[in-house]
Amino acid sequence: MVSRHRKLVACAVVLAGVHAAVLFAGFFAPYGYATQNRELPFIPPTRLHLIDSRGTFHSRPFVYGWRDDGSGALQVDATHSYPLRFFVQGSPYKVASLFVSRVHLFGVEEPGRIFLLGTDGFGRDQFSRFLYGGQVSLLAGLIAAALSVSLGLLAGALAGFYGGRIDEALMRGGELFLGLPWLYLLFAVRAAMPLHITQWQVFLLLVSVMGLIGWARPARLVRGIVLSAKERNFVVAARGFGASDAYLLRRLVLPQASGVAVTQITLLIPQYILAEVTLTFLGLGVAEPMPSWGSLLSSLQQYYVVSSYWWMFLPAALLIPLFLTYYLAADALQEHWKPVTL
Amino acid sequence: MRTRFLIRRFTHAALLLLAISLLSFALAQLAPGDFFDQMRMNPRVSAQTVEGLRSEYGLDRSFAVRYGLWLRSVVGGEFGISLAYNSPVGPLLVPRARNTLLLTGVSTVLAWLLAVPVGVWSATNRRKFSRQSSGLATSTLLTIPDLLLFLCLLLFAVRSGWFPSGGMASLGSRNPDLFHRMKDIAWHLFLPSLGLALATLPILVRHVRSAMIEVLDSPFMRAARSHGIPHSRLLFRFALPVAANPLISLFGCSVATMLSSSLLVEVIMSWPGLGPLLVEATLNKDVYIVVGTVMLSALFLIAGNLVADVLLFTVDPRIRRE
Amino acid sequence: MTTTPLTPLLQVQNLGKEYVQTQPFVRTQLTVQAFESVNLTFYRGVTLAIVGESGAGKSSLARCLALLENPSRGDIWFEGESVRNLAKNELFVLHRQIQLIFQDPTSALNPRFSAAEIIAEPLLIQRIGTKAHQRERALELMQLVGLSPDAGSKLPLEFSGGQRQRMAIARALALEPKLLILDEALSNLDRANQENILQLLDELQAAHSLTYVHISHDLPLVSRFADEVAVMHSGRIVEHKSVAELFAHPDHAYTRQLLHAMQPREGVWLGRSA
Repeated sequence: MVSRHRKLVACAVVLAGVHAAVLFAGFFAPYGYATQNRELPFIPPTRLHLIDSRGTFHSRPFVYGWRDDGSGALQVDATHSYPLRFFVQGSPYKVASLFVSRVHLFGVEEPGRIFLLGTDGFGRDQFSRFLYGGQVSLLAGLIAAALSVSLGLLAGALAGFYGGRIDEALMRGGELFLGLPWLYLLFAVRAAMPLHITQWQVFLLLVSVMGLIGWARPARLVRGIVLSAKERNFVVAARGFGASDAYLLRRLVLPQASGVAVTQITLLIPQYILAEVTLTFLGLGVAEPMPSWGSLLSSLQQYYVVSSYWWMFLPAALLIPLFLTYYLAADALQEHWKPVTL
Repeated sequence: MRTRFLIRRFTHAALLLLAISLLSFALAQLAPGDFFDQMRMNPRVSAQTVEGLRSEYGLDRSFAVRYGLWLRSVVGGEFGISLAYNSPVGPLLVPRARNTLLLTGVSTVLAWLLAVPVGVWSATNRRKFSRQSSGLATSTLLTIPDLLLFLCLLLFAVRSGWFPSGGMASLGSRNPDLFHRMKDIAWHLFLPSLGLALATLPILVRHVRSAMIEVLDSPFMRAARSHGIPHSRLLFRFALPVAANPLISLFGCSVATMLSSSLLVEVIMSWPGLGPLLVEATLNKDVYIVVGTVMLSALFLIAGNLVADVLLFTVDPRIRRE
Repeated sequence: MTTTPLTPLLQVQNLGKEYVQTQPFVRTQLTVQAFESVNLTFYRGVTLAIVGESGAGKSSLARCLALLENPSRGDIWFEGESVRNLAKNELFVLHRQIQLIFQDPTSALNPRFSAAEIIAEPLLIQRIGTKAHQRERALELMQLVGLSPDAGSKLPLEFSGGQRQRMAIARALALEPKLLILDEALSNLDRANQENILQLLDELQAAHSLTYVHISHDLPLVSRFADEVAVMHSGRIVEHKSVAELFAHPDHAYTRQLLHAMQPREGVWLGRSA
């Protein structure tokens, strides 16, 4: 019991931390997501040093600058060092679209640069773009998963509770949706979108369609639970007191399904995040300048990037621990929410 | 009995396919814009030319008419006209579909060849490895995004040079020798199919393992074991036939994920299948290619499920009795 | 048994129920006949037992009597009024009069509710009284059936089997019904609990002139408290007599079989209590 809770709490803490970092990307990121440094393309991640070239130890970590060595290639310039500072003043950003702030968690003095995850072809800081991109990708996952499970809950409850024609119709409809190659369908939807709509509209439309397609699997699970819950004697007894269908569903049946609903959402979020990332990677999701984790990875479609610039893989690698946390959380939830039996 | 079952499943599949065609057609036609949007924005192309082109391609008719025309062209094998290639869609799709089938077919075989032994082994040895550790291993594999996996394989190809980093046949290999051509294709096929197999492997292993465990723990197996039947015979003649039922259903379900993942791997590894075609057509809003590709993939899916259903029917006597 | 004229409370005539299983695309349908041609009258203050082999027929009949399911054919009258043509709100009120108690009390109680909430639930559904009033009544009822009111906030799993069945009875009494249907309600209990609950039911019947319909497969148990017995076999009522008459002059072969099967047990009892 205790270890189960601990696992769940640990996952929740990690996820909350990630979401907070992404939500306050302006603060945690040293630079804006569109800030280009054309003179510093494809820089590997900046190394933090504690001991300088003369062997002196500095208590405050520092980074080196860059210089052109004359042939167009960039070299680390050990003559210029920039110490790491916290709570620095930097480029302005909006906090929750309410007020403007200039404070960033960390940074280095101009003209030094700190690129924790390196830069892309335009010299944009990948770390900052990772945080900002998370806003789009995480939000997409959350909205789509919530949409899918809500629809699935509704459909499953209706199908299981009323049975008969409604059940037939809903289950056949569900089969239709399960039978769709969802990624292909998403492409069809994307193809259908007119050229002149804003990025936000593209985003919302895509996310809605993703969510709408995925109702079938949660619906099936909920239906199973409702079917068995409906026959339990205490539900029959309540009917014997004249309870209406709404009462039965609300107080007796749906609580049994709530566990499944939450677990399903937790399992679906990473899948939908990945779907959005894949779409944007292929150039069909949200487009520049709105960053998404997919757009961070899209330059990897070129061979020279794949073979020479290993740090461009990092955003994808960072997805692994994130998804792992979601799956562990879902596991813990499943154990926690075993149906209550006597 | 059997024919009645087959007829039922086939009608069901056909209806499903029709519904999907209508759905994808409707979706594709939903947009106010179309293929010629770009052209319209070009001041050098007159509006009349654009309208003329539109009516030539039948884009100015009503939805029902367009759907009807399209259905007729499907029957004729044309699947409508590609606006970018200015030719019937059907012949464009066929070689691509063939390549996708080849890739997914080989990957499926590979994935199951790996998943079943690993799953069965892990189930029979589950006392040595606690549920936690094996669960963690499969979970970690599960969480590696397909995208990353395919990109890493690409990196491997580019860096090591052992395998080609794209395409289906080497340039300049107009070698008519069938054997050499097949060897070339196989060499190009290796990495994409390996990637696709690895992408679907964790889920398969997990399901095989749990299906086997459920069977191995059931009372009839305990009874058989108590009769002193040797372990290998127990496994092959008793456990596996019963576990076949959920596994065949799993096969039906896994076709869908395999198809979706194949799109990605085809684009990344430049395998000339339906995937890259669809991406290009989507960017161009080449409506009929998009619809045709969606239909084809749905067809593969349905066919896969149908095969699974028929297999189940032959293998499981309980279903036959229904 | 009193000789004053009995008032009929519930009457059923030619009641029948079948369950049909349909399969898509297949012509034949599977029909299961649960019971048919049932004619019974239940009087105020009288206990009628329905006995027969364990099967769906009796429970199915119980549910139809409790207005939980619709029979396939036949009529039901409650206090002279036909039940079939009632409007929704009239049916809603009618539910107060007839209550069903299940065989397994554990499954009949919502595991997530407290004892007081379970017993007050009928009042909540029927919107009788305020929340405070409902809780008060629930505690009253607990006391009535022999449960300590202090246990009002405990969950069902904290009670024993016998106590749970009492809870179910308390809940059934909340709406002050005139008719209680007990579907094998005592079968899962041990002898001591059975005795206690039978005594409780006796007291309640005497105090409120309740009508009981006792469904059971246990003939000896039935013989100790029922006034009339109806024997059910293959979905039909084959015999319907007072208890004494049934034991003295059984007509149907099946009844005789039942009586014959209980003989040795009778011998054991007599041996003990004599």
